[in-house]
Amino acid sequence: MFSTSNLKYLIPFLVVLYSLPLIPQPPYIMHVIVVTMLWAYLATAWSILGCFAGQLSLGHAAFFGIGAYSSYFLTTWYNVPPILSLVVGGSLASAISIGIGYPCFRYGLRGVYFTLATIAFAEILKDIFIYLRDITGGSLGVWLPMAQEGIVNLYFINKEPYYYIITTMWLSLILILSAARRFKDYLIAIREDEDVAASVGINVTKYKLVALLISSYFTGLGGAFYLYYFRYINPYITFGLDTSLQMVLLSIFGGMYSLWGPFIGSVILTPIGEYLRIVLGGAYVGSHLVIYGVLLIIVIRFLPKGVVGTLKLVYDKFVVRAGGYAVKRSESF
Amino acid sequence: MDMVMLLQVLVNAILLGGMYAIISVGLNLIFGVLKVINFAHGELIMLGMYVSYWLAFLYGLNPYLTLPITAITLFVIGVCIERVLIKPLLNAPPINQLLTTAALILVIQNLALILWRADYRGITVRMPLITLGPVFISATRFIAFAGGIAASLILYYLLMKTDVGIRIRAVAQDPEVSQLLGVNVPRIQTITFGLGALLAGVSGSLMIPIFMVNPTVGGSFGLIAWVIIVLGGLGSFTGALIGSFVVGFIEAFIGVLISLEIARAVAFLAFILILLFKPAGILGERARV
Repeated sequence: MFSTSNLKYLIPFLVVLYSLPLIPQPPYIMHVIVVTMLWAYLATAWSILGCFAGQLSLGHAAFFGIGAYSSYFLTTWYNVPPILSLVVGGSLASAISIGIGYPCFRYGLRGVYFTLATIAFAEILKDIFIYLRDITGGSLGVWLPMAQEGIVNLYFINKEPYYYIITTMWLSLILILSAARRFKDYLIAIREDEDVAASVGINVTKYKLVALLISSYFTGLGGAFYLYYFRYINPYITFGLDTSLQMVLLSIFGGMYSLWGPFIGSVILTPIGEYLRIVLGGAYVGSHLVIYGVLLIIVIRFLPKGVVGTLKLVYDKFVVRAGGYAVKRSESF
Repeated sequence: MDMVMLLQVLVNAILLGGMYAIISVGLNLIFGVLKVINFAHGELIMLGMYVSYWLAFLYGLNPYLTLPITAITLFVIGVCIERVLIKPLLNAPPINQLLTTAALILVIQNLALILWRADYRGITVRMPLITLGPVFISATRFIAFAGGIAASLILYYLLMKTDVGIRIRAVAQDPEVSQLLGVNVPRIQTITFGLGALLAGVSGSLMIPIFMVNPTVGGSFGLIAWVIIVLGGLGSFTGALIGSFVVGFIEAFIGVLISLEIARAVAFLAFILILLFKPAGILGERARV
């Protein structure tokens, strides 16, 4: 799964990651860390379809929202234990993703047109959830009632348990993706050239659909986690374009073509956003989003490979000088 | 639904269609000529509404009289956006253009939020209610409708008869050949984007007496504009007009029968279906600008 050289770095990294809450922190800092991990997780889930398969969805808020709302209904109406409805929420998100994914991939909707269709899909769900006021609480949203503390109810007074949960969710996602080498190769082949991929016998429609199913499943789980952590949702937060954009932004900022990209993107940007929200929030609501927007524009123009990709390039150029030179030569032929 | 009600909704649908024509015509022009995915068109409309609002609020002008100033302001903003953000991306993958303009949404929307807060702001214009037998026509909506049709006709004349218009159409058809024939292509592209933004400004001025403005208002306008031009066949002039009225009818009728949210959802569903099954739009063929 991992080569030994990777493992050498991975284990200390995980030790640091999991011992982070042992350092006493004020609850607010812990909150920022949880939110950072949540966005790292969501951006990684998005990147399965968006980066590896190259199908740039701007409608992942749809799956996020389905996960969140279905968990809410399961918990409050049917008294399903939250830990279970989390999983059901993800599966429902996955099931609903077929509704947009199958027609799009079957009828060969590519590139920007796929992106537009996914936006419209999320908007449709948002409008329906606003319309069904009696059930969903409409624009006002819904609150999750208090519950008994514990893992079954996914309700904790402290923030540390949430941190362990979301970090484990993110880690399992990374592990699954690193293990699925061949699957990833298929997706990358599809991203680079669909027609060539099809000509070597890759079932393009099938693999795109599988990528979407996995991606939407984990996004749905993330939505459910959001519900149990914040205990409040409304259609604008869950189905809004901003939520989808955030996943895309963090992935692209961190680096599209690396498993670590979305994580790095979130680790850099989410705390900046939260900090600015607190420092400037009272006087200048939304200033952190202005900075997000400007950063995204700069990264797309000047660092299209993102932070991780650019660091890799720099590393190759200055550290592995000879190797870098050889690659350059062969490219120029 | 009785006869009077039906007539009333029909009139509303037509008025709404005219308004949507002016929302989408600028976006369509930009896409038709530059082939660039401008996602922030709704935000330009929002800026247009704010410019008109502040001119009317601070100087007591009639919002309709602010139209020329708003139009020129938006033209300048459009030219700046094109020069700084769009031009370097013209040959980049469409996804990069889409993401850049999506990031521009974040920037413009939140700058507006910082500058003008989230309050809903509006200007009321005292206008008589026009009665046509049993049917009522709101004067402000009628002006927006007439303005939409007029702007479309003026743009059509401009594109068909004037020197600049002919150059714009040439660039829309083939930028490289136009360049060879001596057209200053980058300049024409800048002018076109400016014109598109100008049209967004005009629609802002025409809509501020009808709708309240707040920083997030552009989102729905921008998405609806995309629905319309895809329905009409991207870049097609008559297609966009027809698309406007199709969406106007969907919103007016379903809005009355069920609710406005469902009407929007149906418009988006129609959009997905057109993308899937008739990607060239309802007209079928690609009638260029």
